[in-house]
Amino acid sequence: MTDHLLFSNIDEPGLRTIDVYERRGGYGSLRKALATPREELIETLKGSGLRGRGGAGFPMGLKASFLPKGDMQKYVVVNADESEPGTFKDRELMQKNPHQLIEGIVIAAYAVDATISFIYIRGEYVHQADVLEAAIAEAYERGYLGENVLGSGFTLSLAVHRGAGAYICGEETGLLDSLEGKRGNPRLKPPFPANQGLFQGPTLINNVETLSTLPHIVELGSERYAEIGVQNSAGTKLISVSGQVRNPGNFEIELGMSSREIIFGLAGGTFEGREIKLWFPGGSSSPVLTKDDLDLPYDFDTMAKAGTMLGSGAIIVVDDSTSVVDVALKVATFYAHESCGKCTPCREGTSWTRKMLTRVKDGSATPMDLDIMASVQERIIGNCLCVLGDAMAMPIGSMIAKFRGEFEDHIERVRAEQERAILAGVSG
Amino acid sequence: MPRPIREMVTFTLDGREVTAPESTMLVDAALEYGDVEIPVFCYEPKIGPPVGACRMCLVEIEGVPKLQAGCSVPVKDGMIVHTNTPRVKEAQEGVVEFLLINHPLDCPVCDKGGECPLQDKSFGWGSGISRTVEPKRHFEKPLALSPLIAIDRERCIMCYRCVRFSQEVSEDHQLVLQERGADTFVTTFDGHPYVAPFSGNIIELCPVGALTSRPYRFRARPWDIEQAGSICMLCPAQCNVSFTVRDERVLRVLQRDHEGVDNGWLCDKGRFAYQAIHVDERVTEPLIRDGGTLRAVPWELALETAAAALRRAGGRVAALAGGETTNEEGFLLQSLVRDALGSPDVDSRRGGTLPLELHRALVAPALQASVPDLQYAHAVLVLDTEPVDDIPILDLRIRRGVRHQGVRLFVATSRPSSLDDRARGIVRYAPGAGEAFLAALDAALTGEGDVDALAGAAGADADAVRRLADGLRDAGEEVVVLWGERLTAGPRGADAARALLNVAARLGLAGRDGAGLLEVPSAANGRGLREVGVLPNAGPGLCEPSAEGRDADGIAAAAAAGEIAALYLLHTDPLLDQPSRRAWGAALEKASTVIAHAAFLTEGIAEHATVVFPAESHAEKEGTVVHPDGRVQRLRRAIGRQGDVRGEWQVLAELAARLGADPRVLTASMVSQRLFDAVPFYAGLTLDEIGGRGVRWPEREQAGALPTAALGPFALEAPPAAATANGRLRLGAFRSIWAAPEVAASPALSFLRPLQRAELSPADAERLGLRHGERVVVASNGHSVSALVHLRQAAPEGSVFLESGIAEHSAANLDGPLVEVRRA
Amino acid sequence: MAIDPTDVPRFAHGSRIPGWDESADLEKSPLEVPDPATTHVPDDLRAEIEAHVAKYPPDHSRSATIPALWAIQRRYGWCTPEGIEQAACVLRLTPAELSAVATFYDMLDTSPTERNRVYVCTNISCSLRGADELLETFREHAEGEPDVHVRGFECLGACDIAPMASVNGTYVGPLDADDVPTLLRQLRDGEEPLPEKQLARRPSADPKAREPQS
Repeated sequence: MTDHLLFSNIDEPGLRTIDVYERRGGYGSLRKALATPREELIETLKGSGLRGRGGAGFPMGLKASFLPKGDMQKYVVVNADESEPGTFKDRELMQKNPHQLIEGIVIAAYAVDATISFIYIRGEYVHQADVLEAAIAEAYERGYLGENVLGSGFTLSLAVHRGAGAYICGEETGLLDSLEGKRGNPRLKPPFPANQGLFQGPTLINNVETLSTLPHIVELGSERYAEIGVQNSAGTKLISVSGQVRNPGNFEIELGMSSREIIFGLAGGTFEGREIKLWFPGGSSSPVLTKDDLDLPYDFDTMAKAGTMLGSGAIIVVDDSTSVVDVALKVATFYAHESCGKCTPCREGTSWTRKMLTRVKDGSATPMDLDIMASVQERIIGNCLCVLGDAMAMPIGSMIAKFRGEFEDHIERVRAEQERAILAGVSG
Repeated sequence: MPRPIREMVTFTLDGREVTAPESTMLVDAALEYGDVEIPVFCYEPKIGPPVGACRMCLVEIEGVPKLQAGCSVPVKDGMIVHTNTPRVKEAQEGVVEFLLINHPLDCPVCDKGGECPLQDKSFGWGSGISRTVEPKRHFEKPLALSPLIAIDRERCIMCYRCVRFSQEVSEDHQLVLQERGADTFVTTFDGHPYVAPFSGNIIELCPVGALTSRPYRFRARPWDIEQAGSICMLCPAQCNVSFTVRDERVLRVLQRDHEGVDNGWLCDKGRFAYQAIHVDERVTEPLIRDGGTLRAVPWELALETAAAALRRAGGRVAALAGGETTNEEGFLLQSLVRDALGSPDVDSRRGGTLPLELHRALVAPALQASVPDLQYAHAVLVLDTEPVDDIPILDLRIRRGVRHQGVRLFVATSRPSSLDDRARGIVRYAPGAGEAFLAALDAALTGEGDVDALAGAAGADADAVRRLADGLRDAGEEVVVLWGERLTAGPRGADAARALLNVAARLGLAGRDGAGLLEVPSAANGRGLREVGVLPNAGPGLCEPSAEGRDADGIAAAAAAGEIAALYLLHTDPLLDQPSRRAWGAALEKASTVIAHAAFLTEGIAEHATVVFPAESHAEKEGTVVHPDGRVQRLRRAIGRQGDVRGEWQVLAELAARLGADPRVLTASMVSQRLFDAVPFYAGLTLDEIGGRGVRWPEREQAGALPTAALGPFALEAPPAAATANGRLRLGAFRSIWAAPEVAASPALSFLRPLQRAELSPADAERLGLRHGERVVVASNGHSVSALVHLRQAAPEGSVFLESGIAEHSAANLDGPLVEVRRA
Repeated sequence: MAIDPTDVPRFAHGSRIPGWDESADLEKSPLEVPDPATTHVPDDLRAEIEAHVAKYPPDHSRSATIPALWAIQRRYGWCTPEGIEQAACVLRLTPAELSAVATFYDMLDTSPTERNRVYVCTNISCSLRGADELLETFREHAEGEPDVHVRGFECLGACDIAPMASVNGTYVGPLDADDVPTLLRQLRDGEEPLPEKQLARRPSADPKAREPQS
């Protein structure tokens, strides 16, 4: 196992200040990057094999190479709207090591020749936004931001834009609309942000963790970084483990580590006498896995092969004391609440699913409702404007498929209890 | 800006090869070129780019893993598309099912029932089976969204066409979505009603019964009604409309999409003022004055009374035409006055005529821009007109060009324009100083002449004029100048017209495709009336008349001096339509006979007419009119004439016959034919050729028959300087879209009738110690009107603007150029 | 409308959504972009919004919409119609556009709200650790508190301290039932909320992150 990169000395006192960061060699990668031709830098990013850490896992260097060359105004936008349930890694990165992110932003902006950048941070992260704003002010003062960065002739502005509470703004085009002062509705794609993003200009949009990794890639070089991890899943990754485990939190791992080792080794495993019923490997939008899947290596390809996804790297553990009905209802309620309402299958499908699950929960559903519900999930998946609809339909679909017996038992049990109560009332 | 030229491509649609223009959206290509309907709800290309929200149009494209929204996929060569595979069918059934989960299916009591896209698509693409047992959402309904529109939120399927219309087409930004997800709903801010000049379009855009017309609600079912296409005659925009008719009554007006005219939009006046056709106030029988009051009489008596009075006048007759007068009526009128009565005094303009040479120059085919040119030009200059008031639908066209085609918009007006926000450059000049402004612009374009002095004379900022000149020159070759007739009104109208032609010449507009001038006449058929000879100095086809007559101002003066005994007013009340109310008040007072064709007894008619012939409404009329861009359009009768109304061409022909010059016309189409024969540049036109889409005569070969005229540049006289305020304020007048008798007479629209307000800059208000909303008196030379102060940040200092098209307290009561404003 | 919907059984199943039953007030005038000549905007509010506008490229002042709404909410306690009109006047937008944005986001309130906002995360990771019960406890204790608004909230991104709450933006957790009265008292007294349970002071869970590396 390699040393930590992103989380290296993360709890060092004062790390969030520029003095400590610089003393640790911070902004050295930026100097190195600014001395590298842009094309070469993009090749380095491509060669590193770094895949986006926001959820979709798209190769970062490739995305950067999609931006057109030329004189038009280009932008870098940082997606710090971390809102996938179970995910809280970017929060810790921003709060504890903001300059690592800023350094990554400047490197990325230089690579794609963007001169204006924004960090779109979710409105709930008040403290983290304050930390970032202070760090940005320091970086301006030391010449890492602003006109003529470190005498290189490169110019970059960076500002923090605080959201106001909407999951959908984590979707990159919803985020861009929100940053433009509109409702955060996802846009029709194509055009993709690389061609027409913020203010219709070419835009590189990346997650906090992705950009925080750039200084390390520049420092190590693409080859050394690519050696970390496994095939198609290069590098280290922050994993947020939460739910019914003893030691929830963020852990930096080398991709390809065994899932069991993460849940039981790092996160302390389940509580006394409990067994894992199901776990979400990549946030609440990933199809669920069961205890039989614990020995799968935790990387992009293995998770995809298992019919789910690594997503944002958020593992949520549910033990056998919890009803799958409650989990499903929680998930559906969340996505119904967060659907932006723009496209039909998501707007109507999520709220319909929530209503059906409510009936399952209160026992007034029938097994046929489970069939309808499964078919509704099928009708959502792949047919929406963005992935939010799928984000509900995939886990719900997987829960119905894998735990159908438990759903049926629940319906039957509640109905039997209600009948008993009625009969008791009649006879009493 | 050159319009896109598109190559044809071939793609495979359900196993058949289809050829369509490249980058056409798949749904359009499939329907138009492949006869395959892909269902849509949110897609409406006239609003703007697709949004892919409803997901109804999902199709399978080979090589693409997910189903694609056909509304937003441009067709490409070799693309293989399937619209009816089981996978597509499953997705479409899914979308219909989702849309119906919360839709109340109250079709039997829904106004949209029978003409509802949701019904049609559910029937065509839905499974026909409902699997939901959840209670539907229920809300109070219908609710008022405005006095004109009811909203039923249960029925809404959230295609948000209406919201996109408000945001992207009319750009009034009043209608929005609030909340999120399944809770999202269409609304306005804090309970304010959605009132805007184009609001009614959202009713037609709504693909369900969520937005309904309050005046139309429950008046008819689709099987009770017929549609009749014609032209709206309530303003010069001459939008193509379709009247919904039930039992000989117009119940509704819908758009009849014409890319060359209206792009499928209507203003609320055009959409709702049909009510004025069927109100009690409308004049539907002939009236004559009897002992001071007008009383209904049989046609014979009215005609004979009129004929006798005209005979008595012995050539001391003058005629004015305006409003909804058709080419045919104008043609018969000028013939009646000139040939039967021997008087040369006919006019159709406000505030004086121009030399014949200039009339010819201004309609010269080489200089004519078309309506679509506004959308595709490199630059548009809006000059001395407020499109939203004067020719509303072009306001939308200009906005579309700016938004989607990157047209550079410039505005040069006295009064702040609603288009200012979209403009790259704005020049404000003193009211009435259009000539001086154009002289300054001319000087700035040529680099010769004293721009500072000329701009100073116009009361304009010289640098703004220079920037405008640079902006117009740098934008590209295709420049369209949309200018208002009022620019050339008044004693110096000819000088202003020459200055305008100079600017056109400096910009090289003559003969250039996609560039030119586009005039906004003050009357709906202003252009047609001039072309058929309703001018004191031009006969039909803008030929030299046998004798030159007096223009409107001259007629007013002569009548007031007793030199004219009889006035013939065809669809015009000079007290409302002419700039000087007092001159016309005196004229009407003095004239012994005033014969009017009118639908409403407006002030001038009610007080002064001796004979009133009932006017046809535009839904009852037959004939032709000319759009400001030269398109000859045809009016067709949608309903039978109400009450005792007769065809006005018949009335004019009958009078001529009684006066010994029978034009021998038996049908309306005979008059049209006579007219086409009389106007050389209309030669060969037929009503069939005009049809439902019209014909732009400047594009026809016969256009060459228009006598040629010099197009400039001319040597300009030094323009007079605008009056300096000296503590008083310059008076500017405007006529709002709602200042029309049809608006006042339509119950649904009457709430929009304008009240006089004095628009002032905050600086002037502070100097005068006036507050917003306060009542003031605006006075000049002993005359005054009452108004409420209306502060506008954008109002230029030193001017006050008043409404002119209203009955009481009109700006026309005041003589400019300077007025005093004081607290009432 | 003559019918009182509350009397009609079909309206009684609870699918109420604020706004859906609201008719336009036909007595009001339509509202366009507020004219600065007739709209009073406090100088400091104008300056604050203009400072936000300056963060975005020229011609993109609309981007300052959310920051402007935050400014309104801080000043008036919630996004009042009057405040929205003022912000719209500065941003040259219609108030309707601002209201469309304000109602889209969970943290912007468009109806009167108590000043102290307690968001209790009830999403999956927190609810697996007792968040729903915690929210109930909060609700019970906060009843009668004049200036506290308790609300269940979607994932706040702090599942490591589940169950947790955001108290006026400060994250605290893991919380148990005993913390609730303490917290409410602290709010009453204007004290910092549960200093020892604030996320900002919490070390990383990653054992290796705590060890100094070479």
